[in-house]
Amino acid sequence: MALRHLFTALGGIAACLTLAACGASTSSSDGGPAEPEEEGITLYSGRIAAAIGGAVDAYEAEVNKDVQVRFADTADLAATIVEEGDASPADVFFAQEPGALSALADRGLLAKLPDDILRLVPAEYRDPQGRWVGVTGRARVIGYSKENVDPSELPDSPLELTDPEWRGRVGWGPQTGSLQEYVSALRLEYGDERTREWLEGMVANDAQAYPNNVAIRDALAAGEIDVGLLNHYYIAQAVAAEGEDYPVGVHFPPEGLGSLVLIAGAAVLESSDRKEEAFDFVRSLLSEETQTFFTSSSKEYPLAKGVEPDPSLEVPLAEIPSPPGNRTDVSELQDTIELMQEAGAL
Amino acid sequence: MSAAVGEALAVRGLRKSFGTVEAVAGADFDVPAGTICALLGPSGCGKTTTLRLIAGLERADAGTIALGERELNGPGTFVPPERRRIGMVFQDYALFPHMDVAGNVGYGLGRNPDPDRVRKTLALVGLEAEAHRPVHELSGGQQQRVALARALAPTPDLILLDEPFSNLDASMRERLREEVRAILADSGVTALFVTHDQEEALSIADRVAVMRDGRIEQVGTPEEIYSRPATRWMAEFIGEIEVLPGEARGGRAHCVLGTLPADSGVEGPVDVLVRPESVAIGLHGPQGSPTATVVSRKFYGHDQLVELELSTGERLRSRRLGFPQWHPGDRVQVWIEGPADVLARDAG
Amino acid sequence: MVGALLGRQRPPTALLVAGVIVGLGAVLPAAYLFVVVGGDLGAALDEALTTDTALVVLRSLGLTAAVCLTAIAIALPLAWLTSRTDLPGRRIWATLAALPLVIPSYVGAYLIVAALGPSGMLQDALGVERLPSIYGFPGAWLALSLFTFPLVLLPVRATLQRLDPQLEEAARSMGRTPAETFRTVILPQLGPALAAGSLLVALYVMSDFGAVSIMRFESFTTEIYVQYRSSFDRTGAASLAAVLVLLMLVLLWLNGRVRRRQALYRSTPGTARPARPYALGPWRWPALAFCAAVVLVALVLPVGVLIYWASKGISAGAMSSELAGALAFNSLMTGAFAALAGGIAALIVAVLAARYSSPLSRWVERAGHAGYALPGVVVALGLVYFATRAAPGIYQTVGLLVFALTVHYLPLAIGPIATALGQVSPRVEEAARNLGRSQLTVFRTITAPLVRGGVFAGAALVFLHAIKELPATLILAPTGFETLATEIWEQTTFGFYEASAIPALVLVAIAAPPLYLLSERGTVTA
Repeated sequence: MALRHLFTALGGIAACLTLAACGASTSSSDGGPAEPEEEGITLYSGRIAAAIGGAVDAYEAEVNKDVQVRFADTADLAATIVEEGDASPADVFFAQEPGALSALADRGLLAKLPDDILRLVPAEYRDPQGRWVGVTGRARVIGYSKENVDPSELPDSPLELTDPEWRGRVGWGPQTGSLQEYVSALRLEYGDERTREWLEGMVANDAQAYPNNVAIRDALAAGEIDVGLLNHYYIAQAVAAEGEDYPVGVHFPPEGLGSLVLIAGAAVLESSDRKEEAFDFVRSLLSEETQTFFTSSSKEYPLAKGVEPDPSLEVPLAEIPSPPGNRTDVSELQDTIELMQEAGAL
Repeated sequence: MSAAVGEALAVRGLRKSFGTVEAVAGADFDVPAGTICALLGPSGCGKTTTLRLIAGLERADAGTIALGERELNGPGTFVPPERRRIGMVFQDYALFPHMDVAGNVGYGLGRNPDPDRVRKTLALVGLEAEAHRPVHELSGGQQQRVALARALAPTPDLILLDEPFSNLDASMRERLREEVRAILADSGVTALFVTHDQEEALSIADRVAVMRDGRIEQVGTPEEIYSRPATRWMAEFIGEIEVLPGEARGGRAHCVLGTLPADSGVEGPVDVLVRPESVAIGLHGPQGSPTATVVSRKFYGHDQLVELELSTGERLRSRRLGFPQWHPGDRVQVWIEGPADVLARDAG
Repeated sequence: MVGALLGRQRPPTALLVAGVIVGLGAVLPAAYLFVVVGGDLGAALDEALTTDTALVVLRSLGLTAAVCLTAIAIALPLAWLTSRTDLPGRRIWATLAALPLVIPSYVGAYLIVAALGPSGMLQDALGVERLPSIYGFPGAWLALSLFTFPLVLLPVRATLQRLDPQLEEAARSMGRTPAETFRTVILPQLGPALAAGSLLVALYVMSDFGAVSIMRFESFTTEIYVQYRSSFDRTGAASLAAVLVLLMLVLLWLNGRVRRRQALYRSTPGTARPARPYALGPWRWPALAFCAAVVLVALVLPVGVLIYWASKGISAGAMSSELAGALAFNSLMTGAFAALAGGIAALIVAVLAARYSSPLSRWVERAGHAGYALPGVVVALGLVYFATRAAPGIYQTVGLLVFALTVHYLPLAIGPIATALGQVSPRVEEAARNLGRSQLTVFRTITAPLVRGGVFAGAALVFLHAIKELPATLILAPTGFETLATEIWEQTTFGFYEASAIPALVLVAIAAPPLYLLSERGTVTA
């Protein structure tokens, strides 16, 4: 009896394997609506398919080539590219945070972008040495629970969230790249001492740490916390999906770098042997059509000059401070992490 | 089943160490073709290791093993177990639990065993009716016979049995000994079996090799082993023994129980070894027999063991039939009736 | 020299070579760590082990100990109740209680947050203002305990079913109460199974990232992750991961001591009688309540939430059945290949260790465990490093992914096979050789059929874990190759829980049959 069970199971596995042997070759090209004949570039994307799929499809249709996309966490992909070195199959890296791009640029793994690409984006949203370019920007905001907080109570600056009145009511994501970018910006703007004070104050004020922005937004929606530091578009997308009565509101704090713009950017790898195609792909990301797609679908700021942001982005990009300082210095993020660790936030 | 004639086994200078422990320390013995030989010894004497070396399950450090004309083990020679043509019956039988009786017996007969041959082998051990039963449903005695049939089926030149009866109860053991002896004798195979039970060794084997501390102490027929132990250790190991001090001169040994013949060459102080059943007592013994007092008596039904104290103060035991009944305090005469062994004092 | 390394029973060359290859393959990810820290482990550790990280190590060890003890506390009574008593429906309970193993810890953790978190479903149901926070240690402890305890349950139950009832009867006849009998006779014999099961739980907890990050518990793995994020400098992360490997070696050593002190129970000739079940009497009501509570919390609730979300997702058209089928196919394929490779590799390691004990075979066995203590992302990056340098042809192929999954989950398969081998007397193999069959034939006709149950159990455990693995799949799979696990990740990253519930349910559905068979057959042994 029991043996027969076993044989059935082993037979099942064997059958799977036989099937798999036939199926393995076809399964790698799942995905895109129309299957272009020719193989195109390979993209490592730290942004998920829902955020960039449309842009990739548009490019595939335009050049009639198939783009291979590997989705994973931005940091994991950056670490992978470092390990791959010259042998990296990637041609383009689309990162959620510029820190990862700077790290790769520092190791000489990124190619210098042609000037015509760089000219598409204002200087403050790209690498001064032209090795990566910002594609979209997301504003840091304070999200708040519409049930528990009256907009008039909201602070003018995230720095005020260390006040006793916010004790235990604030959510943040010290592990997220976006908060770390924000802390880096604080250090450059106010110095390490003031930043450390704020970090310690947040920890002392019992700020709740969440692993990512979605968790902060959902905790706001659930009323678990009253205010949270997160990116604007997470709320905007939920509003778009759930309607205007979504219980989380957006507040652009005018001070304390509260509504900083964080950049998602793209770069071409030095090891790529399809650099021209890769540059074309980056150009397509910055085309008016794709930029409009980004802003309307994911509620981010388009960074290419002359593209109008989605109407839900009520504060114009120009009024939001861009990250200060030289962002190519990777040791800066390292110092930020150290500071956050010393302050007990990490 | 055709009676295949087994081959003679010759073991010379066999040595095997495990770490610092020398399990087999230079063993020499022969098993003549077609005979049943017992390898007898106390536990830990190296007899099972010797068996495993012969089977090829361990590699010897030194020494040779030959089966008929074939050298199985020697300098630069090691025949793997599967090519030795040696069958083995393990102490715990080691039946293949995933096969039925016929599957076990047929395993050694190649990929497609001849069912007729399997049936005949099973008939030999009286298990024809059980051919398709799973082995774990069998009784201990039946499992034992399956193990024997399995080892015999490929008509090996030699069959090895490791403590073959130790897992059986007393009455079963008695019966199976006889059966196994008959089966082995019928098949004509040479057999070597390991046991720590002297009664078993003496009752089944044609020859007995007694092993002690990795060496062979004595080889001989059961009668020789019992009645003419080569050393005092041997005498004490095989059955009960009384040791009487004596003096040998010119082929005769003198001790408290009288004068006995001794091997020429034995001179000076000797031990006279006598088994209790050779110590006779009676109200009237032969002329000049010493007298003794009965100290105690144990009754065993068929016989009785009487402990005596001689007038010189020495004590010894006498095993007699159950009748007449002796009582503590009885005064008797003591004499030797049967074999006795005279060994120089320093032997063993 | 060579003789000393190979021990007394020299293994066949083919087996030895295969064993060394498996050992070297398994140790690759750990070797990568040493390449990265430049061989100077001491200096790297000095750098990695600040007071803060030392605290995190302690926290991780604390969590590990708590989860192990809880897993035992849940598994031991369940195992006994479902194997040795007249508990109504005990076979069904046994199967249901093993099933939580199919729920990935990252899925389980967010389900717990959804159910028990502040303002979660439980709070809604109770209508209270605010529940005590589930985050941090309590949440991580709960999630990991609930979804790993079957790793203890399966081997302990299998051992209980095999124990000779005469031992218990002997103890009872000597005037011991059932409780004393359990403590003095049964429990000691469960030592090896408990040790092996909790070793797997401990290694799982130490390398888990999903549950601890969702539960916001700062553990060793989140620390490694922070290191990667912060600097993309692998040295810091690698130093920390090396600490994990050292901790794992200590655990293995402890575990080996527990197991060695305990000779494996082997039945004497003669037939073993089946045990007479212990009559629970009125105690069967609390016993039933206990089983029901465990199954409710660890299985019914999570799967219920998944079904609820999935139904919302399906009605919203979140995923086509073609896509779900394609993802399930990819998951099944990688899982089945990994199970096959893992079963074969573990069989080689176990045979070497059990039949040809030697310093070399012990090292091969230890090496076989190296991949399990490391977080999946470290295993993956290690293989990126070696594959791009040494074998670019296999980089980002299903082959390399399967290799990674095999190496990562090999220890899960070694345990059951080693136990199965321990129950096959070497005499049986020797008997077969004496009957004129070569080593290879004996292995094929005797050893392999007798340990088949163990190989199957081991392969099934590898399969269960391989289909859940996330970071290794994301990094090493062919570009564009998606599985159920990557789809769950993709959807939850954006908070699409309803959409993510569909692949999660499919994952649970394909993991359940092998686990059901495992539990039914009771072959998963330590």
